[in-house]
Amino acid sequence: MSQAPVPVARWRRPFEAIRRRALGGPLALIGVAVALFAVLSWAGPAQAGTPVRWTVPVSTKPADIKAGNVLFDLHCSSCHGMGAVGASAPALLSVGPAAVDFFVSTGRMPLNSPKAQPVRHRPYFSPKQIAQIVAYVNAVDVAHGTPGPGIPAVVAACKKQGPECPTLSEGDQLFLLNCAQCHDASGSGGMLSNGYVIPSLRAATATQIAEAVRVGPRPMPNFGPGQFTDQQVAAIADYVHWLSTAPDRGGLGIAHFGPVPEGFVAIIFGLGILLVVSRLIGNRG
Amino acid sequence: MSTAAERSASRKRAERQEQVLDFVDDRLGSSRWIRSALDKIFPDHWSFMVGEVAMYCFVLLLVTGVYLALFYSPSSAVVTYHGSYAPLDGQKMTQAYESVINLSFNVRFGLLMRQAHHWAANIFLAAIAFHMCRVFFTGAFRRPREVNWIIGITLLLISMLEGFSGYSLPDDLLSGSGLRVVFSIVQSIPLIGPWLAFTVWGGPFPGSSAFLERLFVIHEFIFPLLLAGLLGAHLAILWHQKHTDFPGPGKTEKNIVGSRLWPQYAIKSQALLMFVAMVVFGLGGLVQINPIWIYGPFEAARSSAGTQPDWYVGWLDGAMRLWPHWEFRSFGHEIANPFFPGILLPGLVFTAIYAWPWIDKRLFSDYGGHNLLDRPRDKPLRTALGVAALIFFVDCTLASATDLIGNGLQVSFELLIEILQYGSFIGPAVGGIVTYRACLLLQRGGAHPIQRPVGGIIVRDAHGAYHTLGAAHEEHAPGGHGADNGHSNAEEAVLERVGADREEAEADRAVRTGPGHGAEPVQEERQSGGAEPAVDEQGDQGGHHRQG
Amino acid sequence: MTATKYPRIVTGTHGPEEGAGAGTPWPDDVPPDQDDTWYPLRDDPWRARRMEYLIAGLWGITAVCGVALMVVYWTGGQTQIEGGLLVGATGALGTGLVLWARFLLPGHDVTASRGHHVSSSQERAAVVESLSRGTDAMMSRRGFLVKKVLVPVGGIFGIAALWPLASLGPRPGRYLYHTKWYPGARLVTEDNRAVHVSDVMVDGLLTVFPEGYIGDAASPAVLLNIGGAAVQEPYGEQGFEVESGANGLVCFSKICTHAGCAVSLFNVLSMQLICPCHQSTFDVLQGCKPVFGPAPRPLPQLPLGVRADGYLYAKHDFYQPIGPGFWNRGGDNQYFPKVSS
Repeated sequence: MSQAPVPVARWRRPFEAIRRRALGGPLALIGVAVALFAVLSWAGPAQAGTPVRWTVPVSTKPADIKAGNVLFDLHCSSCHGMGAVGASAPALLSVGPAAVDFFVSTGRMPLNSPKAQPVRHRPYFSPKQIAQIVAYVNAVDVAHGTPGPGIPAVVAACKKQGPECPTLSEGDQLFLLNCAQCHDASGSGGMLSNGYVIPSLRAATATQIAEAVRVGPRPMPNFGPGQFTDQQVAAIADYVHWLSTAPDRGGLGIAHFGPVPEGFVAIIFGLGILLVVSRLIGNRG
Repeated sequence: MSTAAERSASRKRAERQEQVLDFVDDRLGSSRWIRSALDKIFPDHWSFMVGEVAMYCFVLLLVTGVYLALFYSPSSAVVTYHGSYAPLDGQKMTQAYESVINLSFNVRFGLLMRQAHHWAANIFLAAIAFHMCRVFFTGAFRRPREVNWIIGITLLLISMLEGFSGYSLPDDLLSGSGLRVVFSIVQSIPLIGPWLAFTVWGGPFPGSSAFLERLFVIHEFIFPLLLAGLLGAHLAILWHQKHTDFPGPGKTEKNIVGSRLWPQYAIKSQALLMFVAMVVFGLGGLVQINPIWIYGPFEAARSSAGTQPDWYVGWLDGAMRLWPHWEFRSFGHEIANPFFPGILLPGLVFTAIYAWPWIDKRLFSDYGGHNLLDRPRDKPLRTALGVAALIFFVDCTLASATDLIGNGLQVSFELLIEILQYGSFIGPAVGGIVTYRACLLLQRGGAHPIQRPVGGIIVRDAHGAYHTLGAAHEEHAPGGHGADNGHSNAEEAVLERVGADREEAEADRAVRTGPGHGAEPVQEERQSGGAEPAVDEQGDQGGHHRQG
Repeated sequence: MTATKYPRIVTGTHGPEEGAGAGTPWPDDVPPDQDDTWYPLRDDPWRARRMEYLIAGLWGITAVCGVALMVVYWTGGQTQIEGGLLVGATGALGTGLVLWARFLLPGHDVTASRGHHVSSSQERAAVVESLSRGTDAMMSRRGFLVKKVLVPVGGIFGIAALWPLASLGPRPGRYLYHTKWYPGARLVTEDNRAVHVSDVMVDGLLTVFPEGYIGDAASPAVLLNIGGAAVQEPYGEQGFEVESGANGLVCFSKICTHAGCAVSLFNVLSMQLICPCHQSTFDVLQGCKPVFGPAPRPLPQLPLGVRADGYLYAKHDFYQPIGPGFWNRGGDNQYFPKVSS
């Protein structure tokens, strides 16, 4: 099929519609081929350069940056310093939008004390405010000349299945080799040394997962572009999202912690019920 | 009562039954055995039924296991999955893992059977453990039942191995990690370890292509055969020796009080089978266990947090975590770390359990035979040691979940491990001492902590006959639910409604089966050296129950 | 034998030689004068009939669930519905059986003798006699046949019969000392991509294999970027080296020295690797010295080199045997040169 090598366009609605019609007749097919050629020649260099496609654009509107500046000064600057240059908490001069969006949208920031372990909370800011803070910090980073990783786009950007779109299977393999050792194969979390709690991934959105992979919110290691391509990050995020939303085929998931809760259920409920039954059937003696 | 029609039907039925039994007896001469089997008496205290629960779990394990074996493929040939489960699509895996995935998702009732099998295994071991505790704390292992204790412990041991081998068959990430640990444990045995591990696995980990087949043969042939054979012996010996019973009015070392096998006990037992099936299939259908599709196929470079074995091996996994980083090296050889918690500890524990009947004889200088059970409080030392062992077991089991507990309580696993390391010494000691004191207090107080005492006051009249005073014994006899024991279930309401008849029957019965009656012909029997002279039993038991 | 050490005790029996019933065993069943035919609803036909209807209704539920199970099967099966229906079927059947046994079937307690479960002294003596008759015939003249010939022959043949067991697996040989890493082996990821020196950022972690041996169970290693962190004193027999051109990259065996699980939890804040199986904790900056948990030895380090094109390779196999200990491991120093740190 002539469409195969041009998946770049797949996630764009207008082309999708054309493509559907294209399957109807050869005439349309030629038209689409011409259109796709045009798109290819336009999108090709963009793909080879900066990862346009797999990054969510950050607002550069002065209004947003200014609003973000106000919010930052009010809620963040006491630790991160005015202008994000760092104080009792690290400077944010090269962290990039992904890190800011991750920490703020998961409610890990703002933190009461810089010594506390940041854990997931209900976000303190509205999505709009978060976008404004991200815009502000991004502007600071860009001005400093060290922009960090952008907010990764996830598989939702990829409307149709195709060779370019990550699959669940790809995400599953990457997750099991790189993430499961800490977060559990079922994404329910665990325990790191020195009292660091490894969070469950079941409440996180796909975007937050992708951000965490790229950013490496310490004590978690980071996984840079040399290790995972953007598509691979999207695949992991997609799989984790699937993991936490897909229904449990076997019934109740009992915390998804594996054999320990299973043994608990077997002893307390399984044997427990049978002891009560035995008590009702047998004599007290 | 019965009408003419009923009588004639009964006669006809008897004739038909006679024909069948004649046919059998002409060939096998089995009438005497069948008669005694049908009339065999079972004391049906509820705690005696837990062994039956285990037996029925075994039955269900065989049924579900055969079904699973019809679909499982013990092959380590690598295949590429293209099935209905999208996240595994295109992944390379062993044929064994693929067959379990297909069995779970593409075979109707397959997932139910697999989960029911796994739940049944977990409950099987739980029932065996409970049964073992019951036998231990009541002294039911004493002479003449030492052999059955040994067989029972062997059943426990084989069931643990059987369970672990089954856990390992799907070749998923969790079972592969478990096998890796066991390989390391085997490898750590001094002198023969590496050779033994290579022999069993057919090569260095993860073993040759024959390993899964070996595991399969062990899991579905050798161990089940051993279990079935030993279970048969266990039951045959029980049948021959007759069941133990708690002491009580009218019960002596020489008699047995209970209901006949046919019909009531047999029907009740079948009901128990149904309830075991209810729990096993209920959990199997409604509660997820071992979702291997999430764990993915095993690869040595992968691992998952929360890597734990099933609960009955958890104490050994916990011991592996608690044992310090010690290993011993000298003369170019070393005894590796996993040997101590993985081989030495279970070796010592099982040796102690096997030897317990003889240790117990020494401890209490009691070499005599017993058919009546001890109440746990009457042997404070044994009870205290048992409780201490259980606390050690729980401590180790908790240690196998330090990461999960830490995650739940927001406590570092370093702290938890340290607490549990000290706990493995302090816990049993404190628990044992507390238990010992509690037993002594209970002995003095006499009252059972959770129920009113069973039985009544036994008095001896001028002619030397024994009589039971008080209502407790009479209430207790027919259904087991005395009206005074705080329970008011439905059947008791019915019992109340038929109260008049019942009282009559009770009175009848009391006359016919007064305490001395069943034991009548054995009065002259004497023990010639046992610590507990048999003739004093009623007096003893009366002493326990004088509170009633 | 206990029987000789302690006085012989016969429990729960009264052998035929003792007591009144000598010669005839006491019947091992219920004495005939005990009536246990009473059951709770015997004399209340109306309630008994109601109970029958109740039980029949319960068993009816079982039948309905059975039919429903067939329907569920026919329509493709659904695990939770199957489980629920089986609970209904078996629960109703069981409840009906219990009610039946409890209210409509006689099951009064009766008392019986325990009967014998041991043999009388005469019977035992007879067995001893039978046994020794045969044994004497075997041993009295021809004891040498048994002691000097049969026992050794049986022993030799028994050992010969065990020989096929050796076919089950190869001898360990040097398997446990070596992995598939070889001098010059490029580091590749699981999807067979060669690892460039710039691939792993500071605080990053990557699982690598020797080229050509992806998935080998003994060879997986973790590649870590410790950045400019200050390396501390190396520990034990193992040295610790950070290749100067490697951009802060260090590589260690992924197989835990405790029980062989894949060590890969990475705490970036304390630079520790943790094993998910038993929580052994290794301090990367001290050459993966075990600092907590049951692991007794550091994770062996893979000596890294950087090729001219920036791709990483192994200079050598691990200098120590990877993974858990074993009997002959203590002598490893004669096979593995000590690394100068």
